[in-house]
Amino acid sequence: MTERKKVIVVACAGMDKPVGSVTSASVFRVVEELRPQSVELVCLPQLLAGVSSQNDLVKNFPIITVDGCAERCATKLVVKSGGKIRGRIMVADSAKKHNLMPESASHIGSSGEKLAEKIANEIASMIDVLTQEA
Amino acid sequence: MTLTKWKVGIVSCSGEEIPEGTISRVATRLVLEKLRPDETVTICLPLFLAGGEGERAFAKVFPTITVDGCEKRCAEKGTKKYSGKPFATIVVRDNLRKSPNISLKSRDKLSAEELDFAEKVAEEIAKKVDEALSQEIKQLGSGES
Repeated sequence: MTERKKVIVVACAGMDKPVGSVTSASVFRVVEELRPQSVELVCLPQLLAGVSSQNDLVKNFPIITVDGCAERCATKLVVKSGGKIRGRIMVADSAKKHNLMPESASHIGSSGEKLAEKIANEIASMIDVLTQEA
Repeated sequence: MTLTKWKVGIVSCSGEEIPEGTISRVATRLVLEKLRPDETVTICLPLFLAGGEGERAFAKVFPTITVDGCEKRCAEKGTKKYSGKPFATIVVRDNLRKSPNISLKSRDKLSAEELDFAEKVAEEIAKKVDEALSQEIKQLGSGES
């Protein structure tokens, strides 16, 4: 991966809500299928625990945050860590916009999968824009 | 009279970086939804770490079990820092070392073998839940709390 063309994605991955599971499903799709060469995931708990590798990534590369619910933990914690957010996605808003509601936290179902696919594509588009700027 | 039903809080790492993190989340969900649905709740780790008062208050009062993907033990450290010592801690990578034939590959879609491994981790969590509740009942019986 060319260092200067890397984009960091930080997802809330919240365990207690179906929208949290959609954040994980969508970012894994981006990192494993859509843009594996240009994206790196930062683990939110590690960032808060002060793991230096995660802090360095957040401070040195453009960031896209993916939040499940209105608490917006990923966005808040990236801001607190001094990261520069260039793109934000709120899964709960996307679910309303596309009228696709995930079934449960453990099984997001076909609606949740479709929603994850749409969000993954949206993240990939953001990454393309950010890597072209770099 | 109000009877308080004891619950165990399971704090899973969100381990986005590694497949072990996915195992910790899947195993936790199996406990919450299939193995011990009436005895457990989950605590959203990002919210807990971000300052969620409800999550932190729960973890101060009720026993917790942390499930971490790797040896960085973010869930365990966060729980200790903000709410107190967990009743039990589980690290998926330690369990993986005991099963050298299993190779974790994807963070997204689990294979049948990976799912089977997650079920074993879930069973271990469920045993710890039973131990935690049994201890709470003993303490209530002896007048401690």
